[in-house]
Amino acid sequence: MHLTLVGLSHKTAPIEIREKLTFPAHRQADALSLLCSSEWVAEAVILSTCNRTEIYAVTIGEDTGVDAVIDFMAEYHDLDRHELVRYLYITRGEAVVKHLFRVVSSLDSMVIGEAQILGQTKEAYEHSLESGTSGRAFNRLFRQSFEVGKRVRTETDIGENAVSISYAAVELARKVFDSLEGRTILVLGAGKMSELTAKHLMCNGVKAVLVANRTYERAVELAERFEGEAIRYDDLFARMAEVDIVISSTAAQHYVITRDAVAATLKSRGGRSLFLIDIAVPRDIEPTVNELGNVFLYDIDDLNGVVESNLDERMREARRAEVIIDEEIASFLDWLESLEVVPTIAAIRGKAEVIRSAELEKALKRLGGLSDKERQTVEALSCAIVSKMLHGPTARLKQAAGTKDGFTVVETARHLYGLEEAEARHGHGVFRNLLNLRAKELTDDKCKEMGDSVGC
Amino acid sequence: MEQFSVVAFWFATVLYAAATVLYGYWFLSKRRTFSWYATFLTGAGFLCHTLSVYSRSVATEGTLLDGSNTLILLAWALVLIYFAMEHLIKIKVYGTVLVPVSLVLMTISQLLQAAGQGGVTASPLVENWKVGIHVALITFANAGYFIGAVASLAYLLQERQLKGHKTSVLFRRLPPLGSIDALARRAIAFAFPAYSAGLLLGVVRAVETDPPGWWADPRVVLAGLVWLVFGVYLFLRYRGGATARTTALIALGGSAIVLVLAVIARSVPAGFHIFGV
Repeated sequence: MHLTLVGLSHKTAPIEIREKLTFPAHRQADALSLLCSSEWVAEAVILSTCNRTEIYAVTIGEDTGVDAVIDFMAEYHDLDRHELVRYLYITRGEAVVKHLFRVVSSLDSMVIGEAQILGQTKEAYEHSLESGTSGRAFNRLFRQSFEVGKRVRTETDIGENAVSISYAAVELARKVFDSLEGRTILVLGAGKMSELTAKHLMCNGVKAVLVANRTYERAVELAERFEGEAIRYDDLFARMAEVDIVISSTAAQHYVITRDAVAATLKSRGGRSLFLIDIAVPRDIEPTVNELGNVFLYDIDDLNGVVESNLDERMREARRAEVIIDEEIASFLDWLESLEVVPTIAAIRGKAEVIRSAELEKALKRLGGLSDKERQTVEALSCAIVSKMLHGPTARLKQAAGTKDGFTVVETARHLYGLEEAEARHGHGVFRNLLNLRAKELTDDKCKEMGDSVGC
Repeated sequence: MEQFSVVAFWFATVLYAAATVLYGYWFLSKRRTFSWYATFLTGAGFLCHTLSVYSRSVATEGTLLDGSNTLILLAWALVLIYFAMEHLIKIKVYGTVLVPVSLVLMTISQLLQAAGQGGVTASPLVENWKVGIHVALITFANAGYFIGAVASLAYLLQERQLKGHKTSVLFRRLPPLGSIDALARRAIAFAFPAYSAGLLLGVVRAVETDPPGWWADPRVVLAGLVWLVFGVYLFLRYRGGATARTTALIALGGSAIVLVLAVIARSVPAGFHIFGV
């Protein structure tokens, strides 16, 4: 059994190639069935987003498995195999686990810390579950990857700081007012960016939107979109007394909002703070407005500065996320290793030997006074019985190792011989068992959650 | 009972010390688990602290509000108000300041006791229930003023970050301006009536005993000034339409006078109004 990943992403392929290699949701079932019809592919999950197409597979042979996946990608999308290979990355074994954990934690995303990738990976796994192409290995791997994604988001601040101009404006507004519930904003001008920022502010609880524009009809049009109120340009400063946030993006070549005009409105504000966002170039708001008490002005460069600083902060958090990922990889590899044939056979033989020795000792005590020759004969007898009893299962396990569902046989053997219990007793300890129990509960909860979303 | 009081006191101190470390680590790392443990340890410390104050009071048939015990009560009031504030405003960052301050106050109280200042006998002047309540109210009010001052300082720092378009660690860790301002306002609004009632009781007791020139005593004058400053603060906050920056500066000024008053009261053995010296 080999873990294999073949894929391409925004880092390796331009949009012209990525768009040719997508697997839309409605075609995933067919694609997965076709892929797993190959004798070399036992399990598969296809992760297809706008920035990446990745095929995770459990393959029988290492290179033959990779070839099978690449052939499938080329044939399915009718692409030249040699051309396609130029854009692909291929990883195997532990590197696949690490890559998946980094992907779900959004460390491999175009915008580090973005939240969508976890949901997209869950969807990909659900498609695989529905198509019956996810088995024991991927059930474990993907469920654990969701836990990793969740851990990274809760134990680090990777998704905390805004990395777009419009969200940065919202974040800053929240730093001034705490809650935006019930606040009033004034949109001055009709730029795309101001519209987007206003939308984000409204999503965060802003109550009322006033819109002002040189052309009143344009203001009315925009106000209708926000279910807000259009105001005459001449009433701008009279109405500014009642707003908390001003977003300005006019095409004016001079300052539209001056220090004196804002200072005049402050008198009727009763000490309330005023947050001004100037997204226009050239700027609409006189920079010295920021010097007034309870007034906070951010222009486009200031907002860019916040975004850059937030990106740096996310990079710092990403380093903390890598530590979490390394811990989780070790845990998964422990489990994976337990499915290998050679350690399993060794464990079975080890357990049999422990039982044989204990029983032999008891029997020898009961028999008492045996000569050395008699003792050796009894011992040889016990060895022969154990060896012959285990010969068949050992041979069949080795044989099964090379087949498509080989590790299922190995896992069954481990279950029948009670190896997991023995390892849990001897290898882990109470605390580890408790942690495992909690992890199992979380996984079960996740399964229920997933069941619900599939049902929806 | 007295032994139990001492043991409970040291348990409280150790728990506050552990909470201080965790709050500090949480402030730097922002890992929520640490803030949970820090709050838990503070709660446990507060319980021990309460038991210590209660058992000492039972053992000595009433707590003598000397310098040492006043500091213990002030530390207790700070933690109590911190929990009330955290419940109301849901901002844990104040624990990073208030719990260490409580720890420092408790440590100083022990140093005062070791220096022999804790065992002062009550003068006939203070052998009255009115004086006990007067000191307790002033202590609680001072705790409220202290919280208001910390919040005001935080406001000025955060405002500076926002005005300067900085995105430092301070900017990320300090709460939004709106909530800091609300905390300062509420803490002072809570403290002011307690301070007024405390002063009133003190005046009543002074009139009863009528020490010569009590109204010109420097500490009485300073206490009147504190009352005036925070009275102006509340007026400007609720009626005057002053900016939060102006009121933050007033709160800091008022708290500075409170600090001066506390130091004078404990270090200058002059005038009629001596306590804890």
